Formats: sequence, C-alpha cells, structure tokens
Amino acid sequence: MTEILNRETVAIDEAAHDIYKQLTEGNNMLEAPFKTMKDMFMWATCLGVKLGLRRPLTTKRITIFRWAQFDPQIDIPLLKAIAIKDSGDMSILLRRNDILTVAEEYANAGIYELRASLLEEYGQPLWNLVSLISELKEA
Amino acid sequence: MKLERITLENFRQYFGRERLDFAKDKQRRVTVIHGVNGAGKTSLFLAINWCLYGEGANNVGELISKEAIKLARPGERVDMSVELDFSHDGERYLVKRSRRGIRMMDGSVQIDSSDEFMMMRILWDGQAQLIKNPIGTINAILPSNVRSYYLFDGEKIDDFAKPEAAKEVKDAIYLIFKLETLDRARRHLETAASDYRKELKNSTSGELINLLDDDERARGELRKKEDRKAEAAVEIDAARRKINDIDQHLRGIQNIKFLQQQRDRVGQDLKQRRSELEDVQYQIRDISTTSYFTILQPAIDDALQRLEEKRERGEIPSNIRRQFVQDLIAQMRCICGRPFTDGSPEHQHLLRLIDNTLPGSLEDDVLEITATLRTFSERVGRQRNDLTAQMKRRAELVDQIRDLDAETDDIGRQLKDSPLEEVSSLELQRQNFLADIDRYNIETGELTRDIEGLKEKIAHLEKRISQARKNERREKLLSIKFDLTQRAADAIKDTYQTYANDMRLRIEAKTKEIFKLLIWKESHFRDVHISQDFDLEVIDRYGRPARPELSAGERQVLSLSFITAMSRISEEEAPLVMDTPFGRLSSQPRNNITKYVPDMADQLVLLVTDEELRDQARANLESRIGYEYQLEFDPMTSCTSIVEVVRK
Repeated sequence: MTEILNRETVAIDEAAHDIYKQLTEGNNMLEAPFKTMKDMFMWATCLGVKLGLRRPLTTKRITIFRWAQFDPQIDIPLLKAIAIKDSGDMSILLRRNDILTVAEEYANAGIYELRASLLEEYGQPLWNLVSLISELKEA
Repeated sequence: MKLERITLENFRQYFGRERLDFAKDKQRRVTVIHGVNGAGKTSLFLAINWCLYGEGANNVGELISKEAIKLARPGERVDMSVELDFSHDGERYLVKRSRRGIRMMDGSVQIDSSDEFMMMRILWDGQAQLIKNPIGTINAILPSNVRSYYLFDGEKIDDFAKPEAAKEVKDAIYLIFKLETLDRARRHLETAASDYRKELKNSTSGELINLLDDDERARGELRKKEDRKAEAAVEIDAARRKINDIDQHLRGIQNIKFLQQQRDRVGQDLKQRRSELEDVQYQIRDISTTSYFTILQPAIDDALQRLEEKRERGEIPSNIRRQFVQDLIAQMRCICGRPFTDGSPEHQHLLRLIDNTLPGSLEDDVLEITATLRTFSERVGRQRNDLTAQMKRRAELVDQIRDLDAETDDIGRQLKDSPLEEVSSLELQRQNFLADIDRYNIETGELTRDIEGLKEKIAHLEKRISQARKNERREKLLSIKFDLTQRAADAIKDTYQTYANDMRLRIEAKTKEIFKLLIWKESHFRDVHISQDFDLEVIDRYGRPARPELSAGERQVLSLSFITAMSRISEEEAPLVMDTPFGRLSSQPRNNITKYVPDMADQLVLLVTDEELRDQARANLESRIGYEYQLEFDPMTSCTSIVEVVRK
C-alpha cells in the first residue's frame, strides 16, 4: 500500500521557477552552471538545512523532475538523513512522501539563499558557487 | 373546452353525491341553474373553479360538507370531491379533485395535508388513461390566468367598464391572445442582444492586426541580424586568411623568421592551454554543482548518531538479519551451535531481539543508509580534494596563458618596431586584422544575443497570434449572434405591435357590434373605442366619452360585450359560466342578453335567481336551453339537492 501511494514527482513553488531556469538554461556554464534542476534542488535543500531555513510551498506547485533522477548512492541517503534529523523518527524512512515534503520545504527556503549567493554577489555564478563551498566548509 | 358533467360529493352544502349535466348541443347550448339566494349557486360556481384550478376556496370556510362531518363517527374518514367531465379538441377528459379529513371527537375535522388532483383522458373504447402532468395539461387547455374571463362572477362583471380599468382591459387582451408570450420573447431577445453587445465591446478587436505587424517587424529584424551575423563570420574568415598570409610572408623574411616561428609555437601553446582551461572549468562545474552533500556533514553525523543509538539499544541488530534470528529460534540453537531450551536466557534474548527490531523493509533501509552514510565522510574529503586540485590547475593555466599572451605581445611589438619597413607594415596590418576579428567577435556575440531574444519574442508572438485568431473567430461568431438576435427582437417587436393593434381593433369592432345589440339605448351610444392605451370607452351621440356616466347595468353590458367579443375573436373553445349575471339589469338589457349571448358562446351556463330569468328573458332562452336545474335547499338539513327541471 505504501508503495502504491509513493509520490513520484518533486515540486517547487511557481514563484521560484525562474531562479531554477536562470541557473540551468543556456550554454554558458559560467553564468548558468547547473546541468540539471535536480542538482540545483539538492543544493537548495542542503543550504536550507545548513542555515536552518524552511518554508512550506504556498503558490502553485510546479513539478521539475522525478524521484528516479535522484542518485541512489548520494541523494537518497542524504534526503533520508535530513528527514531523520528533522523528525527524529526512523519510520519516516518508509514514507517517501514525507521525505520529499521535508526536502521541498527546505529547498523552498534555500533557493533564495542560493540566488543571493550566486546571482546577487559580484562575479560569475560558477565562481560564486565555488566560493560558497569554501565559505560553508569553514562555517 | 366544453363542460359535459359535474359530480359533487360532500362539497359544501351538497351532501352525498349530486350530479349535473351541461347542455352542449349546437342549438341547445344553454344550461340554466336556478336557486334562491344561499341555495348553492356560488358553491357550484366555486366547485368548477376549485376542481379545475384548486383556486377560489380562500375565505369561504370549510369545503367539506358539514352534514357529512356531523354524521361521521369520531375517527371516521370523510371524503369530499368534485369531478368534471369535459371535451376539448375532440378528446374527452375527466378531472377530479378531492380532499379528505378525519372527524375528531370535538366535531371538527382534521384535513389531510394536501388535496389530491388527477386527470384522465377517456379513450375511444371508454377506458380511462391517467395523465401524468394534470396541471400542465389543464393550463394548456384553458390557462389558469385567463379563466376569470370565461368563468365569471356576475357581481364583478362590470370591472372592465370602470374608468380605472385600462390595466384590466390590457391584461385581458394580453392573456387571451397570448401577447405576453410574444412580449416575453422580445424582452429575452433584447437582453441577449444587449449581453452580446457588451461582450463585443470588451472583445479584443484590432489586436490581431497589431500582433501581426509586430510579428512581421520582429521577423524582418531577425533576418537582418542573421544576415549580418553571417557577414561577420565571412569577415572573420577573411581576416584570418589575411593573417595566415602575413604569417607566411613573415616566415619567409630571413632576419625575422625566427620571431614568426616563435610566435607560431607560442600560438600552439596558447591554444592547447586554453582548451585545457575549458576542460578544467567543466570539471570544476561538475564538482561544485554536485558538492551539496559536502556542506551537510554535521547533519549526516547527527543522523548516524541517532541510528547508532538505536543499534546500541538493540533496536537495530547490527548486520544481523531478522530471518537469521528467526532461524536460530526455529532450530533452538545458539549462534555458537549450542542448543538451548524453551524459556532459557538465550531463547528469551533472541525473542527480545525480534520484538525490538524494526519492520523488515525498514530494517533493510536503515542498515543500507547507515552503511552508505558512513562512506560520506570519505566522499566529502575526496570531493573537496578534487575541487581544490582543479582550482589549483585552473590558476596555473590562467598564469601560463597570461605569460604566453605576454610573449605573443612581445613578439608582435618586436616585429612592429622592426627597422625593416615591410615587416613593420605587415605586423601593423596583422594587428589591425586581429582587432577586426575581435570587433567582429564582439558584434557576433551581440547579434547572437539579439537573435535569441528575437526568436523568443517571435515564439511568444506566435502564441498570442494563435490566441488572437481564436478570439477573432469568436468575435465574428459573436457579431453574427448579436445581429441575428437584435433582428429577431426587432421583428418580434414589430409583429407584436402589429398583432396587438390588430387584435385591439378587432376586439373594438366586435365589442361595439355586441354592445349595440345588447344595450337598450343604442341610439344614444354612437361608438365603442379601445384606445392605444387600452382604455375601453363609449362615445355618446354628442361625440363625447360617456363611460363615467354609465349606470351599473350599462357598465355590466359593456363588460359583457367586451368579454364575449374576446371570446369570439380568440376562437378559443370555452364555456361561458356566469354566476348571477342579471342582478343589476332591467328587463330590456336582460332580454337582449338572453336573446343574443347564446350565439356568442360555445356553451353558456347561467346560475340565476328566480327573479333574474322570467317573462321575455326566459322566453328568449327557451329554445336554447338544453338542461335546466333547480337547486333545492332543505332548511332542515341546510343541504342542497340538484333537481332537474323536466321540460315539456
């Protein structure tokens, strides 16, 4: 039963869609460094968790990729670890929908931090991303 | 509608069943019902109205016979009903309306919540077929709102002739001739036309033309930009060829050929380093965009710690599968091979392990995640090292490229400053061509950006044009609908006015004709008018309006003339049922009415007092009477019997 009800899609707020498009579309890797919206979503989620920022989706939901695109060796264990840390409940591992909701809500806050770091700082987004990694390593 | 028979059962003073047939022959079409005041004429008139329409019973007291209630035992049911047989358009019908009540201890009656009404069509073989929509059928035969023009109370007959009766006259003409239907159709069509007009006003007229203009302009601009971009590519190729030619030339000049060869070598190096830099940047991009997990080591550690605590509490058996523990219990053997007994400490420990472990799939999941997360620390380290290495390599390459660029500049400067004028000139030309290439490249970049923007704009315009085309088609359809609706409304309005006026004039002429027949002062009244405002007016011999001066009897005659005129003009087959019609009339008009009215109605039912119909009036009707009844009121029981008067 649990399997049947598992959600297959990952969604973001419509309001954030333009940020995703700006950093993934085009052939200039310095300006739009992300190859996939999945990578960007994971970045936004991790940044939300790291900074302790979380926001439920409020505007229209837009599906940007599917569960199958998550890397089973990195992304899925990471999302599960986030869910365990967030809920303190092991049984959340059996509820994919809840795992996704936690991730979506952290991403919904983290995306604006990512935009601030990559697009609103002086310099090109790729090098700003490298700087961000360096800053967060030291934080 | 032609009435055939009425049967009353316990209706007001008609106790038990009482029946009456109506005259309907062409010659003998008059039914006369005599009764003194209070004998039951009005009750009979009421019975017809109540049976057909369920109306007229307000403020007249209880309809169920008081005698029937009195004779019933407490708790006994009392039935009351009126049945009416009639024919219409070659079909025979039977309608029955009934009411039931229960006699109470105190002598009152408790009435059932609603009356019962049914209608049947009598088939050719005498079988009765129930009509499912009796109210609708009755209204189609003789609409409820026109009934008062056919079934009318003699006391109120002068209503149409009162000075303030224009509205009543207008309503009567509207209802009888169904002008209301036409007027309603006109109003509905005008409302619809108005709605269409508003919609048209709000529509996007002209938007398509503007969008097509924008699209044409954008496409023209796109063509120009693309042509210019192609020209710039040609110019760049041409400049590169020129540079190759110059380089070839310089390689052939003895004193400076070594400089050119050095430049060739540096050029190759630069190309290689730049290509490598591009690759390194791709590597950096791939590492940094997937380095999100490197920032979450604390969260991963936290999750691992929670998992570890669970394991320590025995809730997650480390690498021991539930199935394995279950196998040990089944074999009653310890993991060391030693057997144990039921209830022994070993047995109990294994049972606790089973109870405390997580469900199978969750247990697998937890074990798998724990294992994967433990590798994250190493992954993070590797990822960071890779990024650092690639960034370091990038810095080296940037430095190397900078050096090579400087070396290239230096060679160029040496050649430009060469004492050999030919060399100096060639180098100057070469640098100009390089500058041209840079300029064309910048222009190409700008053109590429503009072209992409224009393509996006055109794609957006195409969507809007498609939508505007749909809107235009809708607008055209809307325009056709508006035109048709407005024209239909206008046509109905014209038809309505023509028809209403025609009816008014025809009724006016007929009313005048009948009035002249019925009135006894025909020489005093010269004309009858129904004005455009539907004022019914009588003109006297002096050419002046005489209605305010009419006596009550004269007003009654004028009203009767108007009603019978409408009946004739409408050609509706309907009975004329008149309750005490002659009460206010003197002998002359009464004589005239009895002489002429039978020919003006398909069927005439007169409910009269003994005083109303005598002498000449009676003689006038004699040959037209089909049935004649006497309502006999019994003062002992307060009940009325209907007794047919046997005619010789």
